[in-house]
Amino acid sequence: MNLKKLEKELRKKYGSRFTVSESEGVRTVSGESGDWNEIISVCSSAVDKKHGVHVVNDIKFTGAPVPAMRLPSLRDNALDGAQPDVLIIGGGISGASIARELSKWDIDILLVDKESDLAMQASGRNDGEVHPGIDLSKGSLKHKYIIRGNRMYGKVCEELNVPFKRCGQYVCFEQAYLKPVIAIYTLKRKLIDGIDDSVLISGKELKKREPNFNKSFKFAIYNPMAGCVCPYGLTIAYGENAVMNGAKISLNTAVTDMKVENGKIVSVTTNRGIIRPKIVINAAGVFAEDIAKMACDRFYSIHPRRGTNSILDKKAGGLMSSIASIKKLEFSNSHTKGGGLLNTVHGNILAGPDAVETYEKENFATHRESIQNVFGKQKGTAPALTERDIITYFTGVRAPNFEEDFVIEKGRKTSNLIHCACIQSPGLTTAPAVALDIEKMAVEMLGNVKKKENFNPIRKGVPVLRDMSPEERDALIKQNPDYGEIVCRCEEISKGEIIDALNSPLCVPTVDGIKKRLRPGMGRCQGGFCSPLVTKIIAEHQGIPVSQVRKSGADAVITYGKTKGGESL
Amino acid sequence: MKYDAAVIGGGPAGLAAAIEAHKNGAKVILIEREARLGGILKQCIHDGFGLVRFGKKLSGPEYAEIFIDEFEKENIESLLLTFVTGIKKTGDGFEISFVNRSGADKIESNTIILATGCRERTAKQVSIHGTRPSGVFTAGTAQNFTNLLGELPVKKCVILGSGDIGLIMARRLTLEGAQVLGVYEAKPTPSGLTRNIHQCLHDYDIPLYLSHTVTKVFGDDRLTAVEISRVDEKMQPIPGTETIVECDGLILSVGLIPENELAESLGVKLDPATKGPSCDGSLMTGIEGVFSCGNALHVNDLVDYVSESGEQAGRAAAHYSAAKRNYISLKAENGLLYMVPQRLDLEADNSAVTVYFRSREELGKCTLKIKCGEKTIVEKKYQFMRPPEMERLTVDFSGADGDITAEIEVTEK
Repeated sequence: MNLKKLEKELRKKYGSRFTVSESEGVRTVSGESGDWNEIISVCSSAVDKKHGVHVVNDIKFTGAPVPAMRLPSLRDNALDGAQPDVLIIGGGISGASIARELSKWDIDILLVDKESDLAMQASGRNDGEVHPGIDLSKGSLKHKYIIRGNRMYGKVCEELNVPFKRCGQYVCFEQAYLKPVIAIYTLKRKLIDGIDDSVLISGKELKKREPNFNKSFKFAIYNPMAGCVCPYGLTIAYGENAVMNGAKISLNTAVTDMKVENGKIVSVTTNRGIIRPKIVINAAGVFAEDIAKMACDRFYSIHPRRGTNSILDKKAGGLMSSIASIKKLEFSNSHTKGGGLLNTVHGNILAGPDAVETYEKENFATHRESIQNVFGKQKGTAPALTERDIITYFTGVRAPNFEEDFVIEKGRKTSNLIHCACIQSPGLTTAPAVALDIEKMAVEMLGNVKKKENFNPIRKGVPVLRDMSPEERDALIKQNPDYGEIVCRCEEISKGEIIDALNSPLCVPTVDGIKKRLRPGMGRCQGGFCSPLVTKIIAEHQGIPVSQVRKSGADAVITYGKTKGGESL
Repeated sequence: MKYDAAVIGGGPAGLAAAIEAHKNGAKVILIEREARLGGILKQCIHDGFGLVRFGKKLSGPEYAEIFIDEFEKENIESLLLTFVTGIKKTGDGFEISFVNRSGADKIESNTIILATGCRERTAKQVSIHGTRPSGVFTAGTAQNFTNLLGELPVKKCVILGSGDIGLIMARRLTLEGAQVLGVYEAKPTPSGLTRNIHQCLHDYDIPLYLSHTVTKVFGDDRLTAVEISRVDEKMQPIPGTETIVECDGLILSVGLIPENELAESLGVKLDPATKGPSCDGSLMTGIEGVFSCGNALHVNDLVDYVSESGEQAGRAAAHYSAAKRNYISLKAENGLLYMVPQRLDLEADNSAVTVYFRSREELGKCTLKIKCGEKTIVEKKYQFMRPPEMERLTVDFSGADGDITAEIEVTEK
């Protein structure tokens, strides 16, 4: 809608409470509101995709104090004076994949993340679906990258030794009369949008493939190119491969300020010293807008949207083997995902996520209602689904802008900046393709850089003994007896694998760090049996007392030191 | 070489089973996941073990030691620090695959005795929401940190659930100088043994709050507080009753689940009431040659009975031979939570069958009635019955010729 019409609408609806101005392709909405959902609807109504303007939210939220970005407690000068060619801010799937692609070049790369590991926010808190793009129309950046990203997964996951399966996705319908409409819809997707893998299958065929689905499904769209991956596993693998190729990753490192002179970032302040990079890549997830602001290049706004997923016991894994969701008549409603069901690469069923707007970027708390909501919906897909099989649940916060599309471009006012921002679903799917484009932009921006001769795209992960034949397993144990000592009984993980992870290119010696790399603690006992053992192995490997081992962040203390006169056995 | 009996698990049930099978002439091997025998008893340094069996109060390690000494004296074979990766039925027995520091290997055995114990229910299984900080432990994990690693897991904590391990840990942590703010129990009655309520809570002035539960945890890194809610008679939190308690630890003692993943992989059917295998009078599961005992069979509250069931299974495995069975069911009905065993073989000697059972709720004067059709087999009066306190009885079933039912008749609520 054009500006005049928008102003009129806002006046009609809200009186003079909100004003909107437009300059240089940016619509800025101002005012004050105590209702976060009101702010979302005001800003959303300002979106004008036709003219490609971005919406910036300057409405003051008075409903509750908005928490400041959580900062690591670490303070040192480890990075002071560093002059990397490229500084990547954010260690999610975007930042890590960009670091890896850029590590082909003979340049200094520094990736910083404020958390204690990679993939600690959205990239570690999603369902891991590699989307087929069936819901995307031509014209958006999401659509531009989806096919390329999706098709790259086989190769990328092979190079990085990350489990990936193309298990296919079913979008299921209960109403037979919708079939002609959906047939036209998929044909349009194929002919106009290039999403060419979809086929319609009958209810009978669906029943044959997924016998535990709702018997009243009359037909389904089948997208064979859909798949799933372990999202944090892939992020860590990208990061490790970047480190193998010379990139530096500094965790517990937060960007708190920038100095911009003549449209150029000259220095970046962190809790570990001041960095003077040639160029900066903003891949800061929910904080990308804050980074853009520091860089004097804010032209989009992020409205956090949280979602909760539940993970089921592997015993319930036989319920289904693919990805599925039930669809009613709500195709245009692109971002209110009711979630779905997905059988992960590790054989657990994952249910969710829901979608709730929030002003809190880092509140990962779960809520009873989210689980009830998701299960209520998903029992429509697989009636035998039950909350009793839940072993854990988690919340992630997505980073959409009001346009609900990615921002992947060079800085508009700041010349040595690249934005890889507003990445939400299907950002995991598109990441491999986006990283290649950002690599191009960065190389162009740097000018005169050479490719490395010895770039190694192959990352070998820690061997997964539980998936091996007895002969392979025996051979490995003969080489290293630690592989024969099982520490995590639920997921069958050995001491040797844990020590390998501690010796990996990006060592994160915390209980959660090991958990994300290998899965001890992700099984049905949730670490009840193995967490003391894992803690002890970390302490021994690092040469520190048990009380100095952390769950994740620096303050996530596990024990408070020796008991009265206690000597450990 | 083929064994007569392979015992999986070297805790009290497995040790007793192995010793008894060996004494009955079987060639036995015991496989234990950890480096040392004794199972969970290793970390149970409090006393109270062995009152029934030995007539004295022993600590967990002392109790285990009696069996370990005998096991070693009898020179029974064992594989320690060995993890069973799978069990397969073969033509006339079982093939057990395992890994240990020497490699991946397998053995064969005519029978299997599953003595795999149980695991603890977790925070997410009792629907606790909020963040995921450190400082949330199951009671057994906290006990491991405290007693085996010698590390203090909390300084100021709340305990959810009045199961025995929770009560024991309330006392243990208090003795270590931690502050235990209270024990919260969602049920209207305590879940642990009466003696533990007295010895672990009352003696240390630790309050017990019934019909309360933890609904939320707070803290981004370490736990900073928990939200407590009152619950209704269906144990659902009542909105508006929330209070916040500041603490750095939450210890969960919210139930134990028999570990039967290996059993299930063999096709063993579980009893939904016990979550352990449904067994006959010799503690043989629904799969010929596979026996179950201890906490894998059903959660016990006294180790003495864990050993007893281990011995029963060990004896039965030693004398096992494939035979035609003529099963009748033993059903726990009115007033009973469960009864083990769940069936009897009419071809077997049923003159002295040990049955274990629990009532569904706290009862005053009541009568246990076991009947076969119209025929009364047992009629026994009790002064009271409480679900946390398992009952045990030896019954002569030799007169039974059809399905059996057991029920409780209440004379006084």
